[in-house]
Amino acid sequence: MRLGRWAWLLPLPLLAVLGLFLFGLGELVWSSFAGPEGFGLDRYRQFFARPDYIDVLFRTLWVAALTTVVSLFISYPVAYFVARYRGRKDWLLVLIMLPWLVSVVVRTYGWIVILGNRGLLNEFLGWLGVIDAPVRMLFNTTGVVIGLVHVFCPFMILAILAVFLQLERQLEEASMSLGAGPVETFWRVVLPLSLPGVISGVMLVYLMSTGAIITPLLLGGLRDRMLGTQIYQEMFQLFDFPKAATIAVILTVTAFVVVLPLQWLERRVSRNLKGAA
Amino acid sequence: MKAWSIAHRTLVAAVLLFLPAPILIVVLSSFTKAGYIGFPPGELSLRWYAEFLGSADWLATMAISAGIAALAALLSTTVTFLGALAITRQRLPMTQGLETLVLLPLIFPHAALGVIMLGLVGIFGWTGEFLGLLLGHFILTIPYAWRPIVAAMRKHDLAVEEAAMSLGAPPFYTFRKVTLPLLRPGMVTALLFTFIISFDEVTVSLFLVGPDLSTLPVKIFSAIQDSGSPVIAAISAALVVFTMIIVFLLDRVIGLELFVSAEERRRPAA
Repeated sequence: MRLGRWAWLLPLPLLAVLGLFLFGLGELVWSSFAGPEGFGLDRYRQFFARPDYIDVLFRTLWVAALTTVVSLFISYPVAYFVARYRGRKDWLLVLIMLPWLVSVVVRTYGWIVILGNRGLLNEFLGWLGVIDAPVRMLFNTTGVVIGLVHVFCPFMILAILAVFLQLERQLEEASMSLGAGPVETFWRVVLPLSLPGVISGVMLVYLMSTGAIITPLLLGGLRDRMLGTQIYQEMFQLFDFPKAATIAVILTVTAFVVVLPLQWLERRVSRNLKGAA
Repeated sequence: MKAWSIAHRTLVAAVLLFLPAPILIVVLSSFTKAGYIGFPPGELSLRWYAEFLGSADWLATMAISAGIAALAALLSTTVTFLGALAITRQRLPMTQGLETLVLLPLIFPHAALGVIMLGLVGIFGWTGEFLGLLLGHFILTIPYAWRPIVAAMRKHDLAVEEAAMSLGAPPFYTFRKVTLPLLRPGMVTALLFTFIISFDEVTVSLFLVGPDLSTLPVKIFSAIQDSGSPVIAAISAALVVFTMIIVFLLDRVIGLELFVSAEERRRPAA
């Protein structure tokens, strides 16, 4: 059905709302440059002059990278398993999607109950006699990474699974029947074909780990700060919007440095795969 | 190979236990009788549910969260539907740009999105108000409405409409009787998905709530920091039940497997 010559009116409400978002984005960047002594890089200089802020920046990168790598290694086998599972996949998918959609606060709260000094895990290890004193798993980087991996690895599983579901099982069978062993088939057929999913999963998990606030705040405490928690602190304990905006811009750049090249790579890889098929 | 296979299965089993574990533990420990949270819960009781359901404050917050989620879902599904309708049927010069713009909020870290929204809402004087939260959630949920709707529109064959029209059906009748039913699963998926994204959202909402107005997840967050009373576990259990209902409905409407594959199709064609 043709929509007629008024068709261009239809996307206008959508454009208007997204325009508001762009406006907010512009305002954020603007307030990070507009200092008390006029327009300039003052706020950025102040940020990079503080060693504790540099620490926070590097800790954010480290925690995000660690979370991404751990998520990838535990998610890939799960995605592969689910994709190749011959029975009804719905129950497996519920086990992944339900945790994915339950609020981050609820899941993080669960980790407090599990990882605390008098939590489930310490009580259990003590009962086994493995440890004498509780092991500190909360309010340090370990706790934050466990929590972040738990919160974000469903994104990775689903991104990889989405690619696997489109992939023909016959390709593997063809490779095997042509004489390649399972290991060679994996390295030369399965893995290359799943790369678009891997790249988009890595992108998502890295992006979201850098910008997390709730999990690092609840599991890491105030000592183990990240850029997200720093923004939260500047905003709600010091009420310094321009400073929060500056850190938000730095955070966004930190994310983009990784995300944009990956996005480009993902497009290239998908195009190559489509060309080959 | 056998050893590999066993290792693989063990790892998968471990991850599939790891994912629901903290949620299960929160739900189970909500039935404790004790005044502190812990697992195993010890003596069982429903006292924390009684406290939750007896608290006007918590119930009001839950109503606010549900209201925001419902409105945000309706708004973002409607504007996305209109936009997607135009770009999937008409060659408009803005097609590529529009898709990039729609998916743009997805590539920002949430903490940065929070500051952006706070600045934006401040311009309207809606800081800490219902409309501010609603605007934030509206913008935030649009990308999640976009994928299922565009996937549904690209999937269905326009020839069916032409068949209806050539058999004499007037355009609006065709739209109502042919087009909408074909798009319904995509639309319902968009509504459910955006509802749950908004209902569970916490990081961006953290920036938009005010002293007199909060959403359920943000209030849970503050309560964890302040008290740690088991009433939090009871409320969390309610949130989990909400999510379970949505996942169940998603399974009924399009099936979880199709939902996951549709995630793949949404990517801009390379």
